[in-house]
Amino acid sequence: MSDLTQTLPQVKSGPDWVLIRKRTRSFIAHAFVLTLVAIMLLPLFYMVMMSFKTSTEIAQDPLGLPESLYWGNYMAALSSMGYVRSVLNSIGITISVIVVVVLTGAMAAYPLARMNNRISKTIVMVMALGLATPNFVTITPIYVIFRDLGLLDSYLGIVLAFAALKLPLAVFFYTGFIAAIPMDLEEAAKLDNCNSWQIFWHVIRPLLAPVTATLSLFIMIMVWNDFIYPLLLLTDKSKLTVMIAVYKFVGNTGIDPTKLFPAAVLGSLPLLIMFVAFQRKIMAGATAGAVK
Amino acid sequence: MRRRNSLYIFTIPALLVLALFFIHPVLLTLDMSFTSYKGIGEAKDVGWRNYDRIFSRERYYSEIWLTLWYTVIVVTALTILGLFFAAMLHRLPLIRNFARAALYTPAMMSFVVVGYVWQFLYSPLNGGINVALRDLGLGALEQNWLGDPALAIYSVAFTQIWMFTGFTCAIFLAGFAGIPEEINEAGRLEGANSWQRFRYLELPLLGPAITVSVTLTTIGTLRTFELPFILTKGGPDGATRLLSIEIIDNLFGQYKFGFASALSIIMLIIVLTVAFVQNKILRDREDVS
Repeated sequence: MSDLTQTLPQVKSGPDWVLIRKRTRSFIAHAFVLTLVAIMLLPLFYMVMMSFKTSTEIAQDPLGLPESLYWGNYMAALSSMGYVRSVLNSIGITISVIVVVVLTGAMAAYPLARMNNRISKTIVMVMALGLATPNFVTITPIYVIFRDLGLLDSYLGIVLAFAALKLPLAVFFYTGFIAAIPMDLEEAAKLDNCNSWQIFWHVIRPLLAPVTATLSLFIMIMVWNDFIYPLLLLTDKSKLTVMIAVYKFVGNTGIDPTKLFPAAVLGSLPLLIMFVAFQRKIMAGATAGAVK
Repeated sequence: MRRRNSLYIFTIPALLVLALFFIHPVLLTLDMSFTSYKGIGEAKDVGWRNYDRIFSRERYYSEIWLTLWYTVIVVTALTILGLFFAAMLHRLPLIRNFARAALYTPAMMSFVVVGYVWQFLYSPLNGGINVALRDLGLGALEQNWLGDPALAIYSVAFTQIWMFTGFTCAIFLAGFAGIPEEINEAGRLEGANSWQRFRYLELPLLGPAITVSVTLTTIGTLRTFELPFILTKGGPDGATRLLSIEIIDNLFGQYKFGFASALSIIMLIIVLTVAFVQNKILRDREDVS
């Protein structure tokens, strides 16, 4: 019986139904998932499409494709929202936060990774609390402290506030990574009479580049997208970050689609370009810790 | 041993930053929560009056419930959708990386941008959603998505779910990647179909991924502030007035720093309690399965 069924397809030299059924099912599954993904991306497509439409087009045909690529909305937005300046501000703040967080975070992680006693546990506890605390719980006192110290409206102030926000994450990233570095490397350096700082700087630090890269991307995403800190801590128009520029530009005029959509695209574009370029790195970092 | 403890000197810069901009502010919040501080002038000590006020008024209870309800909706939807997409994509290696990145894109965007775009999508007359419904001949389903008090909170939640589905999907995909191929192979030989393999083989092994995903999305959603702030400002009629919106409004709308601080402390206690209890339950569940 089994011999018969096995030879059957060869005798009947017609189409291989098993294979065809399998291929069809696979095709349907792919098409189904891709359709769902496309639906999820519709709002982004809508955002870009709307940004190229004139106000008459938007009023007459709210969902139609633009007749032609109309750049007028972008010209108007670029000339009055202070875009270039805000991009430079965001980049400057991002780089400063990265320097502070990477340096202090990696240093703090070194002893935490190498020693497991009550001091380490207490510090890790504080870090965990820092991760879970909503930032508007601390925004009032930070506002008051900054006002009293004259740090309102200063780059220094906002850089330190952001740094405190991301420092716990950095310490967790680095602690995990350093703990996996074999002690032998350090032992060798110790035999050469290196002190702790020299070991950290010359042995440990050069190995941290992958973590630093991931962390920097996360800090960039946060600084770029954060809303509440720069909204409350920076008021000087020349110091605004990108998202506050978008918020002020759109918010001041009610909802005017010819302003909203180009501003939304301009605000998201630099980060989306970074995402395309560093997609693997960002995804790997986002899911770190999902698997034990 | 002595020499080793000197290593802790390395933690001083980090602890200094945290002490100044995290620990000190939290203590200051606690301190201010017992005053009627208005932002300027003397902070007058009022004892427990701010807390009495919170616990004696119906509206603060309902805001806390709204915050929890909102979190339950968003976290449940994010977990189910993330699992769904991850299970599908795990079986479709050809499009896995592309689809994972595409789904993740909204999570890369700012709440400000997402809020504005969706505010326009939801707008009653020319908004994308109502126009699309009309064009599809489903005009009867048109809604005032953000203006209807019964609907507004779900519209805000929908936007947040849209934004972070790619995030939970990515976490679950990492979980799937950690499942040994032999297990599925064995299932296939036993004649288990795709759904059975997901339900009885993969799902139990995704425990750690579920813990991470649920914990992170819960903490993130409990403290949601930007999205309702841009989309509805807490309206209509307080229908989307989450605890976070109440805090910000007291702060920078009414300059009631003292009262807002008391609300912040309640918020902090809720977030920490939920995160702790949830993590404990999920970890215990992992060990059993």
